[in-house]
Amino acid sequence: MRFTFIMAFVATAVGCGKTPPASFRLNMVQATKTAAPESGMEKPWSSWANDRQKQVATILEAMYGTPDAPVALAETGLDLAKLQLAAGPVRSDIVGRKNGLYREHCAHCHGISGDGMGPTAAFLNPYPRDYRPGKYKFKSTWRDARPARDDLTRVLHDGVPGSSMPSFALLPPAKVDALVEYVRYLSMRGETELALYTYAEQELGVDDTMPTTKEFLVDEILTPIVEKWQGAEEARIPIAAVPTTLDFTKPGDDPANHESVARGRALFHGDGGCVKCHGVTALGDGQANDYDDWNKVIVEWGKEVAGGLGASQDDAGRAAWLHAATDVIEGDALRPRPIPPRNLRLGLYRGGRRPIDLYRRLYTGINGAPMPGVGPSGPGGKGSVADAEIWHIVNYIRSLPYEFDGELGADRPMVAKDRL
Amino acid sequence: MAEFSSRGYFALPGPKGQNCGERNLQRSSNFRQSLRLPQFGSVSVAIMRISAYNWTHIVACLLVGVTAMLLSFGALVTTYEAAMAVPDWPATYGHNMFLFPWDEWFHGPWDLFLEHGHRLLGAVTGMVTLCLAAVAWRSSVRPAVRWLAVAAVALVVIQGVLGGARVLLDDKTVAKVHACTGPLFFAVAVAIATLSRRSAEVVAGGATRLPVALLVAAYLQLVAGAQLRHLDATVDPATFRGLVALHILGAVAVTVLSVVSAVVLGEDGSTAARRWSKGIVAFVIVQFLLGCGAWVANWGVPSSILPEGWQLAEPLRARSVGNALVVTGHVVLGMLILGASVVLAIEAGAIGRAAGVREGRASERAFA
Repeated sequence: MRFTFIMAFVATAVGCGKTPPASFRLNMVQATKTAAPESGMEKPWSSWANDRQKQVATILEAMYGTPDAPVALAETGLDLAKLQLAAGPVRSDIVGRKNGLYREHCAHCHGISGDGMGPTAAFLNPYPRDYRPGKYKFKSTWRDARPARDDLTRVLHDGVPGSSMPSFALLPPAKVDALVEYVRYLSMRGETELALYTYAEQELGVDDTMPTTKEFLVDEILTPIVEKWQGAEEARIPIAAVPTTLDFTKPGDDPANHESVARGRALFHGDGGCVKCHGVTALGDGQANDYDDWNKVIVEWGKEVAGGLGASQDDAGRAAWLHAATDVIEGDALRPRPIPPRNLRLGLYRGGRRPIDLYRRLYTGINGAPMPGVGPSGPGGKGSVADAEIWHIVNYIRSLPYEFDGELGADRPMVAKDRL
Repeated sequence: MAEFSSRGYFALPGPKGQNCGERNLQRSSNFRQSLRLPQFGSVSVAIMRISAYNWTHIVACLLVGVTAMLLSFGALVTTYEAAMAVPDWPATYGHNMFLFPWDEWFHGPWDLFLEHGHRLLGAVTGMVTLCLAAVAWRSSVRPAVRWLAVAAVALVVIQGVLGGARVLLDDKTVAKVHACTGPLFFAVAVAIATLSRRSAEVVAGGATRLPVALLVAAYLQLVAGAQLRHLDATVDPATFRGLVALHILGAVAVTVLSVVSAVVLGEDGSTAARRWSKGIVAFVIVQFLLGCGAWVANWGVPSSILPEGWQLAEPLRARSVGNALVVTGHVVLGMLILGASVVLAIEAGAIGRAAGVREGRASERAFA
């Protein structure tokens, strides 16, 4: 009798609290931001907005599936086998192969939807990357281009120093490859969602529904997104030859590099414009009140909403939209944080510390961040610093952690002790 | 009045100077004679010697050891997210659990090794628990110990079913319940091992209930930790923030209670209580360091609250052995703090006292 009672209790507890299957979250910031009501709307705004969100969710599910059962349309070029290895709950299949890699390794920070809003996100600084806009910081391609596959692989393999992103070097290459594919999938899905909202905002009237034809969804919405990703391999920036006056195998204070470091210092304080944010001391104490693109969206929209709330609200639809927007900003987005310029004397470079990594950061800047590039903004353009000269700035930056900084009035090197 | 004996509950009134073994042999001999058993020379002596052992305590200690191994394996299973390494239950890839090929177990994937090992240890723990219940009910131990043994059997069955449900339903909620029942079972095993060790009179005292509060706090802290460990990726950041706050509050509560217990029992507690309370404080200090290490291993240096210069120059490697040991060690030490709190509560007379007194009277009646 007692055993029966216990078993009934366990069964009840298990039945009541079963974890629901994972689902993709809509990008509520964009869904609400692009759904500002027109004046005189007859239907209640919340009902109208819900209908539109349902249409978008239905289209996305048809095109991309669910977190447990991803879909890879042929037009995307995504490898379904890799997606299936990365998607779904963590479990081994009948042949003992472990699936659910994304949920095992990534989702706690980056979120099921790749929105950078996993459970732990609020504690991390910087916040985990939101894949949905398709913007990635550390890559070998032009600033606005998508990252190449090996750029993502490299970030996964090396991690991001100075952030919570660990290195996955201990994972087998096949698993890393599957994760890279899944990240690309989440990005394409997020970009598709953004494109749908933008289309709805610009093209659809109040009573219109979202088109669901193949011509619209594939040709008009999906193809431009996929082309960017597929063109990433050809969008790599050119790498200038390393000048003969510098030698990266030797430290910055080596006589062989004095001339190069001096030239780099002059560019850092001059044409490069680096001191504006990184400061004349390179301690990152220049302009420090800017936001990256992911946070800037929230900050600017927040100001707009706050301004609207302060004005008169005769229109019920607009009042409902403003209150919904407030709820979204407070509940569906992380509190915006300014992005401080890097302290270059720490020797801590998030995008990698190899000379080639620093060259790329300098050449294109950092996509999504306020850091501008000193190279041209696109093929055939002209930058503020000549390509080959960028290597001297790289050399100077690499020498900064060991430089005797006379400008600070210190007669000692800015080394590890000063980090504390 | 019974005397203290490290051998336990067989310590009976006897002439001073007579050692425990002699008394126990004498008692066993009387018992054999009362049953009119024939004499078989050295064999009979051997039986008498064996029967002189406190088997309930011995089996209970064995159960504590096996359970500690089981929970450590379970913690590793969670650390490596290996709970679903075997998709079926109670079979392992179609094999009877006990007949699963050893070479596949040892040379297969690491997560299969952990999960199947956890299952085997669970089965062993269940068997030892049944043995303990049988021994306890056939011995003249306190009624409280007997009923605790029954509770242990019930808990181990529930825990086994929960483990199976976790696999068959592939559900994180069940995993959390499973993770909370494990330490509860461990606490019961430790309580049986401690209560079956000594005579009733030794546990007299109990001027403070602080150890009970510490015991409860230590368990609730493990419950809070289980919510963090078995976090579902669909949880929103605000919920996670609340869970972290709860876990930190729990850590503060356990720290304060362990220090205050050590101070109070250091003044008027028994020798054992003083030792255990100090040991728990040492455990808590190490646990704090392991907790910080577990945070860094999982989520890096908390740069929101620490200077930028504290950032690690090299990112941590996900799934490294060092990370796994720190994170798992945090769980295992939490379990040991719970076990030590149980012992402390009993040694300090905060729990088990009333049951002990009743048993003491029963013993007196039985051997009057």
